Amino acid sequence: MKRVSLPLWLVSAFLYVFMYAPLAVVIIFSFNAAKHGGPWTGFTTDWYTSLLADKQKQDATWNTLILAVASTVIATALGTMLGYGLSRYWFPGKKMFSLAMYIPVMIPDIVMAVAMLAFFKLLTSAGGFLQMGLATMTIAHITFQIPFVAIVVRSRLVGMDPAIEEAAHDLGASTWQTFWSVTFPLMLPGVLAGAMLAFTLSLDDFVVSFFTTGPGATTLPILIYSSVKRGITPDINALSTLIVLASVIGTIGVTLLQRPRQPSGG
Amino acid sequence: MANERKGEVQFGEQLTVRSHILRSAMTSGPGIFWVTFFLLLPLVWIGVISFLTRTEVGGFERPFTFENYTRFIGFGFFGFDMLYPQIILRSLVLGIGTAVLCMITALPLAFFIAGLPARYKTLALTLVLIPFWTNLLIRTYAWQILLAPESPLTRLAVWLHFTEPGLPLYPSAMAIYIGMVCDYLPFLVLPLYASVEKIDWSIAEAASDLGADGPRVFWHAILPQVTPGLVAGIILVLIPATGQFVIPDLLGGAKTVMLGNAIQQQFQQSRDWPFGSAITFVGMGAVMLGLWAYARAAGERGGEII
Amino acid sequence: MYKRLIVIVVSLLVTASAWAQKNKLNVFIWSEYIDPKIIDQFSKEYDCKVTVDLYEDNESMMAKLEGGGDSLYDICVPSDYIIPALIKNGLLAPLRKENIPNMKNLDPKFANREYDPGNKYTAPYQWGTVGLFVRKKAGETIDETWGLVFDAKKQIGSFLIIDDARAAIGAALKYKGYSLNCTDKKQLKEARDVLIDAKKRSLGFEGGVGIKNKVLAKVCRIGMVYNGDAVRGMKEDPETYYFVPREGSEIWLDNMAVPAKAPNRDMAEKFINYILDAKIGAQLSNFNQYATPNEAALEFISPADLKNPAIYPPPDVMKTLEFVKDLGAKTGWYDELWTGIKSK
Repeated sequence: MKRVSLPLWLVSAFLYVFMYAPLAVVIIFSFNAAKHGGPWTGFTTDWYTSLLADKQKQDATWNTLILAVASTVIATALGTMLGYGLSRYWFPGKKMFSLAMYIPVMIPDIVMAVAMLAFFKLLTSAGGFLQMGLATMTIAHITFQIPFVAIVVRSRLVGMDPAIEEAAHDLGASTWQTFWSVTFPLMLPGVLAGAMLAFTLSLDDFVVSFFTTGPGATTLPILIYSSVKRGITPDINALSTLIVLASVIGTIGVTLLQRPRQPSGG
Repeated sequence: MANERKGEVQFGEQLTVRSHILRSAMTSGPGIFWVTFFLLLPLVWIGVISFLTRTEVGGFERPFTFENYTRFIGFGFFGFDMLYPQIILRSLVLGIGTAVLCMITALPLAFFIAGLPARYKTLALTLVLIPFWTNLLIRTYAWQILLAPESPLTRLAVWLHFTEPGLPLYPSAMAIYIGMVCDYLPFLVLPLYASVEKIDWSIAEAASDLGADGPRVFWHAILPQVTPGLVAGIILVLIPATGQFVIPDLLGGAKTVMLGNAIQQQFQQSRDWPFGSAITFVGMGAVMLGLWAYARAAGERGGEII
Repeated sequence: MYKRLIVIVVSLLVTASAWAQKNKLNVFIWSEYIDPKIIDQFSKEYDCKVTVDLYEDNESMMAKLEGGGDSLYDICVPSDYIIPALIKNGLLAPLRKENIPNMKNLDPKFANREYDPGNKYTAPYQWGTVGLFVRKKAGETIDETWGLVFDAKKQIGSFLIIDDARAAIGAALKYKGYSLNCTDKKQLKEARDVLIDAKKRSLGFEGGVGIKNKVLAKVCRIGMVYNGDAVRGMKEDPETYYFVPREGSEIWLDNMAVPAKAPNRDMAEKFINYILDAKIGAQLSNFNQYATPNEAALEFISPADLKNPAIYPPPDVMKTLEFVKDLGAKTGWYDELWTGIKSK
């Protein structure tokens, strides 16, 4: 029953091609000499070299990375604690709050984006200490990252055998010691997975960033969107190809990192 | 977990209720506070704004009014027109349509991967993950290139008399669905695969031994086993798909306004935040309602959702 | 190969030096609207680091300013009709004329207009028209009417409509013979129906620059665009050409303005003064192929441009052009109309 039939092979092959067609097209057309993204007129690497001189794109890349790293660090910390706390401890109203934690995962990103925009506008006009820009974007990213990290960490904790921690306590370890010597190391793959997920969510985010951005805080997705609205310029294809390559390397890296986990019952 | 309160020994420790609450505050506290302050509160704020009035220059102020909601239902400046309810409906259709199409395409893919020899499974899965991790914008605008007048796909369509020469295949409903499925397919494949991987084939064997034919074996013996993964995947697709605005924008030529586009337009170009908030609230309510109804119906057959 | 290497090294050095400049200026402007060389020149002359952020339409720009952009940008470039709303909303800072002596270079026809009497807040930047940009087949004569877009019987190819509420609705109003500032509900409804019908036959809505690029990329045949973008497109592809339909169209005047809480107000006014210089004004127009409101700059404009009816329309065309006016409270009707058109 587990052999794969020929029709299934064909359908699956077609679907894989379908999923990869856009990526292939972007890569191929990044070498197209046509100035306005029209039909193929010749091979060139000019668009890649033009990227090196393009300050706007470099700023955007820088912003995107800073934003992703900053938000991931904070979100992983808060999300891990949240995942751990929810899996171990109780508080009044816990059921309701647990459900509420899933809201960012559940609602369409545009709803989240405009809600935060409206709220930030309230804060900026009231206080004057917060400006729309990288700060607001970081806050917004952290907000949708936390639940994802919490879910990943929590599911890792749920799958863990409680006997190990029980043994540690039986041997006289305090909660603190148990956590750092036993629980955390076992939890670590989940934390890393959560962090990786958060990082990717931030890197790729467009809608929330679009609404919470400010001057000088343009990120790559926002830049690509504005450029695409203006008509596909080939240097966007070159930039996109580089992003795609980075994603491929990242994905393969993450998958390789996760492989040794399998024996522990993933 | 429900025994936490009762002071039972968990993970080698016996904690008082007070201790639980204290530790919750220390661990879950910050995260919960953050999400509450930066998301739940803003959502409430949006609800408040939806009852305010738009100022002449695009801000908002009191008086409180139901005008935004009546306008939503259809009482606009130019007479009664059920424009916005139609938009919500259209978006729900888009979401459901995308989920169904993704389901149809994800099923063969999940079974394919599950049927591969063990050493190729990771590779096959990674190949599904790679587009998933790539930026949505890039993949969407790439479809613009693929559906342009002179691309091979379009030429094929012309040859099949599907469209006229010189015309691009976008903007169109078909283009939107292509973009949506291409984007959301991995969201469904991954949870579905998790379920397919765990299928107990002996049940299917038993069914066929008892005389059931192929389709019946599938429907009664296999499908119920993958329902949890299927349900999880459909939810992961349905909600974002309904609120999607980038794909209808780029591949629908801004010709078809979906929920996401309508909200974006009110918050940016039209600068009518009260009305935009009303649309957001109703839209979100509709999606939540649909989800709850679906979860209740599916919950009886499937396992936990997340 | 070496040339490329040198370009890379030089640009890295330039980038590095840019970080060291003392003054700053944040410009918020339409895409493809200012010559990058002018930015470089200004940057060197005033030892100033200039950032440029782009937008495609007035409403998004205003939304950005309202969202806090008024304390982050130093220069924005709004069109005439939206300026009263910006002023009323307190989004603009008054110009200190003593810092902008070059205001005297302006053509009196374009100064002191009703949307900003006395030019208290704004200084004219460029003016132009809205029309149709078409790819011609050899030997074909084009019927110069809005009907190419609005009349199904006259459609000669795929087209795109400009994603600018006043421009698109204005075009429909002109096609029906009404004023593009009309506030008669019946007439507005007619325009709306015309646009909805056109939308169904169109390839959608886009910004002016995007449409120009799509016509050039042969994705569509006709597009509603701003004239300067079209003229630049014509230079790239002689098969294309631009005209103002005979029913009339919109004439617009863009202005430079300083947002209310701009962090570098002095630099902003120096920038405005710089642009209003006769030679710089001409360099600007020679780049973006729009018409200059700067009388002193006219003598430096390339003679071919001065004679180009797409840039400087002849008197009989000027008679059919209307400025878009701010309609106060009734602007909401156009918004509603526009949302309705896009949502159907």
